[in-house]
Amino acid sequence: MNDSNYISTNNHYSETNLRMKTKQTARDITAALFLLIAFVAFFIPATALAVDDENCLMCHKYAGLGRYAKSEEQKAVKRIFYVNEELFKASYHGKLRCKSCHSGVEEIPHTDVKSVDCATDCHLNDPSTGRDFSHKPIVDDLRKSAHGPDGAKNSDDIKDLPKCKDCHSNKPYQISVDKELKSMQFIKVCLECHESEEWTNRFYKHMFYRAQTRRPSKQVVALCSRCHADKEKMERHDLDVVVGFKDTFHGKAIVYGDEDVANCLNCHAPYQLGFSPHRITSRTENSSPVHPDNKLENCQQSGCHAGAQEAFASKGKAHPSNVVVERVDEDGVTISQEEQEFQRWVLDIIALFYKILIIAVVGGLGFHRLADLYATHRERKIALRAAKLGRHSS
Amino acid sequence: MSHGKNERMFVRLTKSQRIQHVILFVSTGLLILTGFMLMGERWVIDMFGSAGNDIFYWRGIVHRVAGVAVTLVCLYHLGYVVVQEEGRSWIKDMLPCMSDATFAVQNVSYMLGFREARPKMERFTYLEKVEYFSVYFGMFIVIVTGTMMWTEQYWPKFWLDVADAFHLGEATLAALAIIIGHIFSVHYNPHVYPMNKAFIDGKISESMMKEEHGLWYERELERLAAEEAEATSEGTSNNA
Repeated sequence: MNDSNYISTNNHYSETNLRMKTKQTARDITAALFLLIAFVAFFIPATALAVDDENCLMCHKYAGLGRYAKSEEQKAVKRIFYVNEELFKASYHGKLRCKSCHSGVEEIPHTDVKSVDCATDCHLNDPSTGRDFSHKPIVDDLRKSAHGPDGAKNSDDIKDLPKCKDCHSNKPYQISVDKELKSMQFIKVCLECHESEEWTNRFYKHMFYRAQTRRPSKQVVALCSRCHADKEKMERHDLDVVVGFKDTFHGKAIVYGDEDVANCLNCHAPYQLGFSPHRITSRTENSSPVHPDNKLENCQQSGCHAGAQEAFASKGKAHPSNVVVERVDEDGVTISQEEQEFQRWVLDIIALFYKILIIAVVGGLGFHRLADLYATHRERKIALRAAKLGRHSS
Repeated sequence: MSHGKNERMFVRLTKSQRIQHVILFVSTGLLILTGFMLMGERWVIDMFGSAGNDIFYWRGIVHRVAGVAVTLVCLYHLGYVVVQEEGRSWIKDMLPCMSDATFAVQNVSYMLGFREARPKMERFTYLEKVEYFSVYFGMFIVIVTGTMMWTEQYWPKFWLDVADAFHLGEATLAALAIIIGHIFSVHYNPHVYPMNKAFIDGKISESMMKEEHGLWYERELERLAAEEAEATSEGTSNNA
């Protein structure tokens, strides 16, 4: 496009007089300007001009932007600094400016950058209070919970404790296609009064997403298992390794995709009873939903085991673990070590009894069957020989 | 062991017994299938994809319905062997006795080639007796533990774990015993392949009866002869 324009103007030059030339120069400048604008518009996404007033995307839009860094364990980690603008805009934080979370970042190269702190006050107005919005209360809750440095059983290994980012990432709102289609019809109603389509969309999606979708049970189990199925990590903190959950009825139902059975959080932080994953405490605390005093109510919640009796929620483990960790419970609120071992022993004996019985029965029947086949084989040979003899004699 | 087309047939299973058997094997099959669906590894279950949730729902319903069916047929059978004439004769012939041990030794030594012929056995062979009473033992365990797990809210968690262990162990044992013991003897046995039709028409051929239940065959012939004699004597007395 560029080349053809140039040639056409060149031809023009050779044929015109001076006055015409002056006029032509003006035209050329205009054409060049248009070309420049087209050029710029082509390389910078149109949307970037609207939002990225900090101009971070000037560099961060390039997919190759990244480097290898050394982690704390002296391992190479790939760090990617590429930001996909479309995905970011569709994400939970898509309306925020980069510097709302990434503080510092005044110099280039960014040597002054601070790590993201989710407790920072955002420059967003919380309409419910009129103040700046912040995740600070949740960060404080987490600090005091079993997962935070103030509440953890053994807080020597602080780096084992989960941070916000270990469970949460800034994803685009994921709403299923059929629900999204219904939403689009509903948003038209909102747009009768609310002018900004972008704002309405975002507000609606935020409300809908929080109300209609929770993290699927499969994801919850996978998330908690990242640490709680890690034997070494659990031993460092004097905790049970959760290995038995996947074999329980709840565990299997979740693998089938059943969202009505309990995942980790439904018992350890039941939101229907006002608990939050950010305030999980040790089961030895009176306030814990899995404390023996609260277990019954916990099992009965939201109609799961509505008719559960005292016995149902008494001694026994919801997800037996094969690894018995040495643990002392001063107040004896959980099952004692001996009782745990006894229960394990009883279940093992039953399994062993059936193993022996199965080997005996299957072995016996198998032997009998093979012997019977051998007998049939013999009978056939005899019959065949008799038939041959008969034919010869006749 | 070929069955002649015009061979004489004897009654092996009555209509009531055949109906009980159909209910038993259909529900047991469903129970095994839907029960072991809980033992599948993750990658197997993942193959159901998005249909998994519905499949899981129906799995539970089918397992419970089949469980009720099998419990009812077992209870019916208990009454049947006590109350009904047919049932009493059944359980009388089914009760194990000393001669069963002799038959077992003789039959095994025949199969291994140490004897010339099979022993003449009764209406039910020693293996059939073992299979039959294994069902009593197995059903008792799975019905009790299954009922416990169905009424889980009344039981301590540990007792439910014990019930679960028994239920699983017994189910595994039963499934394997049925496949290796029963299915092989009534389907894959070269004598009857592809299947022993007795469970459909209730009949056994004379040749097979002679081979596998020699004593019963002789007993049946005597009984039939006696009946016939009685009928003729009655007939003659009536005529007179």
